[in-house]
Amino acid sequence: MLVVDDLHGGYGASEVLTGTTLTVKKGTLVALIGANGAGKTTTMRAISGGLKPSHGKVILDGQEVQGLDASRIARLGLAHAPEGRKVFGPLSVEDNLLLGAYGWLPRFFGFHAKAKEDLERVYDLFPKLRDRTKQASGTLSGGEQQMLAIGRALMARPKVMLLDEPSMGLAPVIVQEVFRTIRRLKEEGITLLLVEQFAKSALEVADYAYVMEHGRIAVEGTPDELSRNERVIAAYLG
Amino acid sequence: MNSLIIGQMVVSGALMGLVYALIAYGFQLTYATSKSINFGQGELVMISAFFSLTLTNLGLPYWAMVPGGLLFGAIMGLVVERAGVRLALEQKSEGWILLTIIIGLFFFSTAENIWGRDDRPFPTPISADPINILGVDVTRLEISVAVGVLGIMGLIELFKRRTLLGKAFEAVSADRDAAELMGISATRTVMLSYGLSGAVAALAGILVSPITTVGPTMASALILKAFSVAVVAGLDSGFGVVLVGMFLGALESLSSFYLGSGWREAPGLILLILALAVRPTGVFGKAIIRKV
Amino acid sequence: MKRILLLRGAELIVFAFLATIPLLVVNPYALGLLTLLAIYGILLIGLDVTVGYLGQINLGHVAFLGLGAYTAGLVVTKLGLGMAPALLASMVVGLLLGGLLALPALRLEGPQFALATLSFAALCTTALNELEGLTGGAQGLSLSRPPVFDHVLTPPLFYWLCMALLAVVWMLMRNLLASQWGRAFEALRDSPIATDAMGVGTYRHKVAAFALGSSLGGLAGGLYAFNFEYLQPQSFTYDLMIILLLGVVLGGRKSLWGAFVGASVIVLLPNLLSNRHLFQIFSGLGFAMALAAGLRGLVKKTTRPFQALAPVVAMGILVVGGLLVENTEDWRKAIFALMLFSVVVGLPEGLMGFLSIFLAKLFRVPHAPLPAPTDIETLLPPRTADGSPLLMLEDLKRHFGGVKAVDGLSLSIRSGSIHGLIGPNGSGKSTLVNVISGLYTPSSGRILLRGAVLPSGSLYRVSQSGVARTFQNLQLFAELTALENVMVALRGVYRSPLPLVLLGLARREERQAQADALCLLDRIGLKDQALTKAKDLTYGAQRFLEVARALARKPDLLILDEPAAGLAHPDVVQLIEIIRRVHRRGISILLIEHHMDVVSELCDLVTVLDGGKVIAEGTPDEVKRDPKVVEAYLGQPASPSEPSHGGVEPLPA
Repeated sequence: MLVVDDLHGGYGASEVLTGTTLTVKKGTLVALIGANGAGKTTTMRAISGGLKPSHGKVILDGQEVQGLDASRIARLGLAHAPEGRKVFGPLSVEDNLLLGAYGWLPRFFGFHAKAKEDLERVYDLFPKLRDRTKQASGTLSGGEQQMLAIGRALMARPKVMLLDEPSMGLAPVIVQEVFRTIRRLKEEGITLLLVEQFAKSALEVADYAYVMEHGRIAVEGTPDELSRNERVIAAYLG
Repeated sequence: MNSLIIGQMVVSGALMGLVYALIAYGFQLTYATSKSINFGQGELVMISAFFSLTLTNLGLPYWAMVPGGLLFGAIMGLVVERAGVRLALEQKSEGWILLTIIIGLFFFSTAENIWGRDDRPFPTPISADPINILGVDVTRLEISVAVGVLGIMGLIELFKRRTLLGKAFEAVSADRDAAELMGISATRTVMLSYGLSGAVAALAGILVSPITTVGPTMASALILKAFSVAVVAGLDSGFGVVLVGMFLGALESLSSFYLGSGWREAPGLILLILALAVRPTGVFGKAIIRKV
Repeated sequence: MKRILLLRGAELIVFAFLATIPLLVVNPYALGLLTLLAIYGILLIGLDVTVGYLGQINLGHVAFLGLGAYTAGLVVTKLGLGMAPALLASMVVGLLLGGLLALPALRLEGPQFALATLSFAALCTTALNELEGLTGGAQGLSLSRPPVFDHVLTPPLFYWLCMALLAVVWMLMRNLLASQWGRAFEALRDSPIATDAMGVGTYRHKVAAFALGSSLGGLAGGLYAFNFEYLQPQSFTYDLMIILLLGVVLGGRKSLWGAFVGASVIVLLPNLLSNRHLFQIFSGLGFAMALAAGLRGLVKKTTRPFQALAPVVAMGILVVGGLLVENTEDWRKAIFALMLFSVVVGLPEGLMGFLSIFLAKLFRVPHAPLPAPTDIETLLPPRTADGSPLLMLEDLKRHFGGVKAVDGLSLSIRSGSIHGLIGPNGSGKSTLVNVISGLYTPSSGRILLRGAVLPSGSLYRVSQSGVARTFQNLQLFAELTALENVMVALRGVYRSPLPLVLLGLARREERQAQADALCLLDRIGLKDQALTKAKDLTYGAQRFLEVARALARKPDLLILDEPAAGLAHPDVVQLIEIIRRVHRRGISILLIEHHMDVVSELCDLVTVLDGGKVIAEGTPDEVKRDPKVVEAYLGQPASPSEPSHGGVEPLPA
């Protein structure tokens, strides 16, 4: 479903990505782990269009999307729940969710009705959001905002969902809840690319994983193979 | 001094102040999506007013002229965005300040030559006969200004809250990058904001021209006051501009009366400099935590 | 030497030529134009300080022209004094009012600054109009040129006076801008934060620059008054301001020659417009240039399509308009607008900017040779490090709303040590560094440097206390060369008072600064790239440059904020070597890093942060094995139950 081929790119003079290659098969959860500064978030941004890669390809469902505007890639079926969640603070929970479906809902009127089913699905997954549907999303707790960000990505009915560091800044108990949700998404058959700082949690839910180091993939394999790999541990603590 | 006369000054001034508020509202619309404003907005008001005058002179009835004028203003707003703003935004520079000033100058010169340098009366079917409300004389015309200003602001706010496109507008203001990830094109949204801002400017011109006449000088007369209102109220204050606008209008009216008409401009200007001085983080937006 | 000779030679020739004009030219009108050229030259040099060097849109400059003019007029008519006191008064008024306006206005950036200056200009016009008793209001003010040393100033004499003043201003400004002052102006445009952090007060320099520019505006105003011998408020309007901006942008920003060229354009414009034939030739030429430049840019892909085509369209309208309209005079403003638009979009460096690149290629004049680098032992004599506590943090806290970025942190850094600070994302490392260096004030707690409380909340004051830092997101002065970046930060070199600088008598300390900076560049391996602009350096070189720049502060404590971020392995090795060399000078180092290999190699002691608190401290090896640290970095498993269950079990609340 998603193929990244020899991706190079960076910010200004600095080239952060030095040839990243990975594949996400349909219906699987792939984890991208690695130390900070390895280039995980940069990879996500290069995939979703926030960053234009200097070299390499990003292929979404058979179509080359590298270099396109982020909004275009989103409308082609890629949903990215960014690092730091980035919910639209002044807007309500419901509005945030509706905007997640911007790609396929009518722009002026009638969108409430069309979105009803999808909204219900998200509220089933995250009951806490149902209670707060009219609340300004900026006032939600960190964990609730993360749920909202994931829900928002779901609303897009995406072909592939990118989850960037969902655990960041959250208390351990909430992190556990987040990962339970991620498991449920996996059960529903959603194709996911997960970037995580916390390798252990990521490896527990992944079907396949890539370890990034210095802008490229250093090791890849199934979680079993990787958790026994000394290099993985070394990549974190030198 | 007769308190009735003061009351008269205050009310008339406040109603004029609503026009400043409307133009300031136009600034808010573009600032929200792009952190930029059209420094040539005054000229946009002026040419839209002239265009509307021409429509009227060509025989169009008033109620058909208004949408025509608004459409013209919207198109001019789009022109400003394409020619003056988009490049600077792409380069992440503030070049739009100078470019919108330049475009404004171009509009000014064109207007001078097409319509002449004199002030022209602007016909309107709304009567200028005063009605006495609570001892103060108000004309139907002045009331129409209030209705027009509050009406269009209300309409746009409704659009922002009730349509998905309007919500997308708010989203781009809140977080441009995240909005792009939802499939919302930030560029198109900026275009929309400039189009709306242009339409709003046109309406301001249509509303105020019957009272003050249309002329090339109306641009500079209005623009500094609108800036004052926008800065003092804050560029993200929503309806705050209405209150500040009315306050400024009343203040101007009084200072013109007591100090002489030449000093009319002074309160607005002093207020502007003071507001900029007292809120050093810039009244344009909340305090930003600097990240290095 | 050659380069300077060439430039000075050119200046001399031009000024000598200009001096002979009154002897050659008999036409009083032409003489009048050239006199005006000198006056506008001074005016634009003043405007260039804010527009070119500070990079701000200054819409108030025309007000200083008017204020200067009226001041001179009033001094002569009401006080009966002569020309010299009048001109002096004009300059002082410009200086004082400029400084006064600058104090609030320069806290602002971009659009707010433009607005503040615009309102000031409008206020001045209103005041000039309304204070009729003083200024004569809209009726105007008449004055006559007072005699100088009992000589009545005939037009040729007055012309020489203006040209002489232009030459003097030119020389003084040249000396000023070539000194640390000029570097400071450019630095604060590129990175105000780094400017403060490197010990150059951003705000005070901005105010000084603005006041200086305004005083030149005032001087120009005084000459303006004596030139026309009649003043009215309507002359000093927004329209004129736009024309002044046109002059500066078209001539070329950050350039004395540019101001001169711009002034010529302004002075010649009215004539250009009244002569239809001339206008058509000119606009045709402009169109051809725009077309050539645009096509070139498109083919070479150096400009965006809009940038290449818009000037062509604008100039095209100019050409067509010139053929269609009856009276080009009436369309003055539109013509200015189209010209200015083309220049801003298509030729942002202006004519001089473009010409200088062209001339540089043609003449290939080598730069003046740099002095030999200072000996490192003289520049940074090694300090004795006794291991006593240098920096102490006592229960430091910093909150942002509800977020406790730093939550009760106590730390001690020993002098002469390299102290590492690590922790996962969001642990508070960056916030801590920003609090120590003065970017943020602490919410509570104290920072002690050598036992004395460190000033808080001011990058500038902290930099004066012997603390220097680098930045996680590079804050180099992009448009300055590597050498200049380091020169800006040098401590203790620039001692000459302003008058000496203006007169060009501070050359020795300039050479000293160059030598010192070269020494530091040599230490990081960038000596050969001393004259490359910072933005053109490779990423690795840029990172090293930040270190050299911070070293120029001759600090007791050097804070390195993720210096290895994004570096390729060979550069990381070089960075480690550089840090070692710094350490050998006895400078204490606080190193924030993610690269564990860098930390292990260098640090004597490491503090680990998580959630704004210290969770471990010790040698790199001790810390790596600490279970709390491992947990903080790798995270806990998602659920205590076995992974093979796969099901979701509700956890106890």
